[in-house]
Amino acid sequence: MTILRSNIKALILTGDGINCETETSLAFTEAGIQAEIIHISDLIEDPKRLESAHILALPGGFSFGDEIGSGQILALKLKYSLGDELKKFIDNKKLIIGICNGFQALVRLGLLPKPFEPRTMTLTHNRQGNFINRWVDLEVPTSECVWTKDIQSKKISLPIRHGEGKIVFKGDSDAQKVMYKTLSTNGQIALNYSVDVNGSYAQIAGVCDPTGRIFGLMPHPEAATSMWHSPAGIDKSGAVGIGASIFESGIKYCEQNFN
Amino acid sequence: MKVYRFEIYPNSFNLSQSSHSEESLKVWFKDYMKVNFDMIWEVKYFLVESRETIENFEAYACEVFTDSVTETLFSSESANQEEYHGWLKARGFSNPHLIDIGYRPGVTDNSAHAALEALKLIPHLKNLDLKVSSGTMYYVEGANLSHEKLEKMAYEKMANFLLHKVTITSPKDLVHNTRFKNITFPAVTITASASKQINLSVPDSELLKMNQENCWALSADELTHIKSYYKTLGRNPSDVEMEVIAQSWSEHCKHKIFSSEISYSESNLPEGVKPIGDKNIKGIFKTLIRGSTLKIKEERKLPWLISIFHDNAGIVRFDDKVDICIKVETHNSPSALDPYGGALTGILGVNRDILGVGQGAKPIANTNVFCLAENKYFQENNLALPMLLKNPDRIKAGVHQGVQDGGNKSGIPTVNGAFFFDRDYVGKPLVFCGTIGVIPQVENNKATCEKGQRPGDLIVMAGGRIGKDGIHGATFSSMELLDGVPSSVVQIGDPITQKRLGDFLIEARMKGLFNSVTDNGAGGLSSSIGEMAQLTNGADVDLEKALVKYPGLSPYELMVSESQERMTFSVAEETINDFLALAAKRSVEATVIGKFTDSGSLVVKYNNELVADLSLEFLHESLMPMKLNAHFDVEARSAHWIKRKIGKPLMPRKNFKKILLDLFRSPNIRSHEHLVRRYDHEVKGATLVKPYTGTNEVGFSAPSDAGVIWMKPHGGGEDNAIAIACGICPKISEYDTYLMAEYAVDEAVRNAVCVGANPDEMVLVDNYCWPDPIESERNPDAKYKLAQLVRASQALYDLSLSYGMPFVSGKDSMKNDFIGKMETGETVKISVPPTLLVTAMGRVPGLKTITTSEVKNENSLVYLIGENLTNFSSAYELKELYADYEISYPLPYIDGKKQLDLYRKFHKSMSMGLIESSHDVSDGGVIIALAEKMMGTTFGMKLDFSAIAEKNLMGFMFNESAGRFVVTIKEINAKAFEENLNGHSFLKLGQVTSDGVLNASHKGETIISVTGEECMTNYKVEVEGIV
Repeated sequence: MTILRSNIKALILTGDGINCETETSLAFTEAGIQAEIIHISDLIEDPKRLESAHILALPGGFSFGDEIGSGQILALKLKYSLGDELKKFIDNKKLIIGICNGFQALVRLGLLPKPFEPRTMTLTHNRQGNFINRWVDLEVPTSECVWTKDIQSKKISLPIRHGEGKIVFKGDSDAQKVMYKTLSTNGQIALNYSVDVNGSYAQIAGVCDPTGRIFGLMPHPEAATSMWHSPAGIDKSGAVGIGASIFESGIKYCEQNFN
Repeated sequence: MKVYRFEIYPNSFNLSQSSHSEESLKVWFKDYMKVNFDMIWEVKYFLVESRETIENFEAYACEVFTDSVTETLFSSESANQEEYHGWLKARGFSNPHLIDIGYRPGVTDNSAHAALEALKLIPHLKNLDLKVSSGTMYYVEGANLSHEKLEKMAYEKMANFLLHKVTITSPKDLVHNTRFKNITFPAVTITASASKQINLSVPDSELLKMNQENCWALSADELTHIKSYYKTLGRNPSDVEMEVIAQSWSEHCKHKIFSSEISYSESNLPEGVKPIGDKNIKGIFKTLIRGSTLKIKEERKLPWLISIFHDNAGIVRFDDKVDICIKVETHNSPSALDPYGGALTGILGVNRDILGVGQGAKPIANTNVFCLAENKYFQENNLALPMLLKNPDRIKAGVHQGVQDGGNKSGIPTVNGAFFFDRDYVGKPLVFCGTIGVIPQVENNKATCEKGQRPGDLIVMAGGRIGKDGIHGATFSSMELLDGVPSSVVQIGDPITQKRLGDFLIEARMKGLFNSVTDNGAGGLSSSIGEMAQLTNGADVDLEKALVKYPGLSPYELMVSESQERMTFSVAEETINDFLALAAKRSVEATVIGKFTDSGSLVVKYNNELVADLSLEFLHESLMPMKLNAHFDVEARSAHWIKRKIGKPLMPRKNFKKILLDLFRSPNIRSHEHLVRRYDHEVKGATLVKPYTGTNEVGFSAPSDAGVIWMKPHGGGEDNAIAIACGICPKISEYDTYLMAEYAVDEAVRNAVCVGANPDEMVLVDNYCWPDPIESERNPDAKYKLAQLVRASQALYDLSLSYGMPFVSGKDSMKNDFIGKMETGETVKISVPPTLLVTAMGRVPGLKTITTSEVKNENSLVYLIGENLTNFSSAYELKELYADYEISYPLPYIDGKKQLDLYRKFHKSMSMGLIESSHDVSDGGVIIALAEKMMGTTFGMKLDFSAIAEKNLMGFMFNESAGRFVVTIKEINAKAFEENLNGHSFLKLGQVTSDGVLNASHKGETIISVTGEECMTNYKVEVEGIV
């Protein structure tokens, strides 16, 4: 099981209002793997291109202008035009990361918190009712998530840039508690805000599927790959930023599990 | 036709939760209209019109419109039409009114566009002929609500009369569910009129009347010029020709004031005001703006000035791999009519300028500056506003939301900007939107900075479709804002359509699929094709081929409509198929509508009928410049529209701490972080200096001086960045616009230098927003305002020349006046103060040079760089606050050459890593700047002002001027730093401490002691609503 890092390939979706494809691609290529930005229509036209990839990334953005609900229309589009191929991709134990709008789309698509099951979770308007761009402190719990392996039990800081990042579970408060407990027990809570920043249930910032290979998070690791990105003047330097660890963890998993 | 109505409600688990927007609506109505609502419930809905009945439609709609975790659908198809009444009860309503806000026919409805696209994703609905319209309804409950009152309130806050239709349903009618029974879909029903001849052989009075009725906004001289031209042709113009001429010659497009010949004189200058001497100016733009730039280019032999003034934006080479372009626009009149739509189209419009520069550049950052009024000011001082003026707070909320959506949804970070408040912006808000872009230096063996249309190329219109929206926008923005303007001037932007268009444009450019491109801004096709045709010397257009939003548009409307999100491409025959195929694949609508020629004429046909045949020479070259007179005499200015003296408190003279904290809470110093953080300022992963800075311990709420963008993520150098900064000082205009312009230039430059930009690699952009300087009955002090314009422009010329910094782009908006009636019947005219925004863009050579404003280390030395200013009385912010502070002449002007030398030396220290933190001294003076440096950290400062005479302490702490910095330097670097400043004034003020207190003493006595926390709390008064 040893694939050369330089042979690992990530597909990064773009089009229809996705707008973080370049920096997301850069985060992968900086870590030494191949990254290809692909327009959704091109992938729909030639879905086989998914087969050659090990990682699928849904970057941040405002797909379809966030109309009707963030990620809602992108999810419909993926479901009706790439549903079977995505299932195959997941069945082949490949990796998916959804950042911000990508996370919202994965949730609406029903791939998180558990693929191919009825939906139990959503991301809705921040309790403040508006978009927020700021750096937040995060805790990385021990979890199944392969994307956070390198930084589990660490405290990190990443930027958030969203208006709809509040996680809500289905049902009454008891049902929600049960749902949360299940996710906790399964090791699916992959990222937490250190304080309440948007009203998200139990300060959840990121969730993975039970296998840990599909990961969705609201903060933007691709905008924190260098210490030059840091909001504090005193921290600025050419050192690698903490956001890079998330991509690195995913890539390491690929190195160990693909050939 | 069948029309369905789908309403989206929270499901049973979420029924009781009220949303943030519902709560803020309640607060708004209470605060502004003194109406208490017990409850407001906001529900979104969609109308879908279908040619045929759709089976099982509710299930499909449920999948598309709702989030199954939290929402449920109620519709015209629901089996139990009473069900939602139960939800209303559960929510606590007993007697609700319903306010329904739908779009008027033909208004851009982004939710509906997206919803239609979403419905079409469902296989069963894919091939159906559907139309969608969206809306929002509010169930409201409270005492004494009448039909009329609710309608008035809805238009005051929730709806805009020009865009929306409000329907009120009373409680007794709500039970009948009539909205589900006879659903009307908003349909455009207009009919096109054929193109007609305009008879110009009529008396002048008749001509002027036609001019007014048709919104041509032409002057009497111009009408005569057109009349005699057509006489030589032996025919009358068509309506299309008249519209194209009017649009091309509008102030907005032609910049007639900036091209005019001005005779300037001055008299009675107040003591100390710089005389510039009587003179004749052959065009402000040509002699002063471009004049300075060309002189600088020649003197400095600048190799990095790639393209200036002739394209949609200026292009410079501040990177080894990519070129960088910049443009700043204003969108004032549209924002006055519809704040949200105006600002949104403003930001999307300037993005298109960047997309349309050269062969098409990629936008990488936005800037935005607002000049607004605050309702509080009028309320507290009991001042009535003219009828029909919008509440200034609603304008503020609207323009802010517009810029937020425009930038965020396009994925372009807003990296720099400002909020400036003054009561005189209540008539016309100023909305400045800027964009920076990158373009490869060479691509497909072509220099991408040049336009390449050729005769024979096809003309392609791509992006949005044409509607009635935005007709006469160019001419309208060149007119004063009068009551009762036609609604077609309002337009809403569609960020997603534009995002697709922009992505497609860059991809098509990389593939070499077109030869040239420009945006459709003011003037629509008339302007974009008219401009592009100048290079090939002609164009043939078949108007009926242009895609329309709805039928019924007349040929002239197709030609001048300013419907948004459109670019015009010049595409060679060989690549047209690939171009159109790629567009289709990227969901971008594109159609061939004609051909570029070298015939010398713009020939327009509609269904094969000739509707315009215009000589390009006549259109673009025949207009003689206006001749205007300017006279500077402060006595000549008209009285202010507010006649009453406004009461203010007395200054707490000895209590410096109180003054400092008062300043921190004042409108133009206090924080706007809560608004700025709603802009995405980091998307694209390249924003290295963000709008706010600070430390992990205290947070990031202290103001930064400029935005810094890393070039690496944009294909540029790994160790290279660009700083973007702005300067705007309209409060100085009443004293002298020369000084005001100097300050604007210097503030922008200094802010950029502050974060690490090299003053020798810096360019400027000018944006003027002026009150009308053309004489008329309604404008008796025009000569004075024109003189103010001349003085400001002379300052730009003088200082840019001294600094050696060229202007690469600029724009002027010259009619920023409002004329309306008060309730008393009195007519008032509200003019903006002469306002000049200067944007500076400089290269930060190496990321290690980047410096932020906050203090970094204990024991570092604190310096003021620049003069003490103790001989002046120039604390403008104190004058705003207190009744007993007066500004007095002389005011500190700038010694440009000396200042440039200081910036160079300062930058040298910065590149050597000697400067730990730097911040500009601006509004509020030295003491505010020092406190701002400290309050984002746990550090304090121990300062000693003993070098200043006691009587001068006020002036030292609070006077404002250009040219100064406060910095901190490690002790070990102090010697080298001081040596580098050779020949310039600086003052060591003290040292950084660890106690979080700014403590300043004078001859052993503490004169001010304030904690960083106190400063921050007062600074954030609006953010957190405390104090």
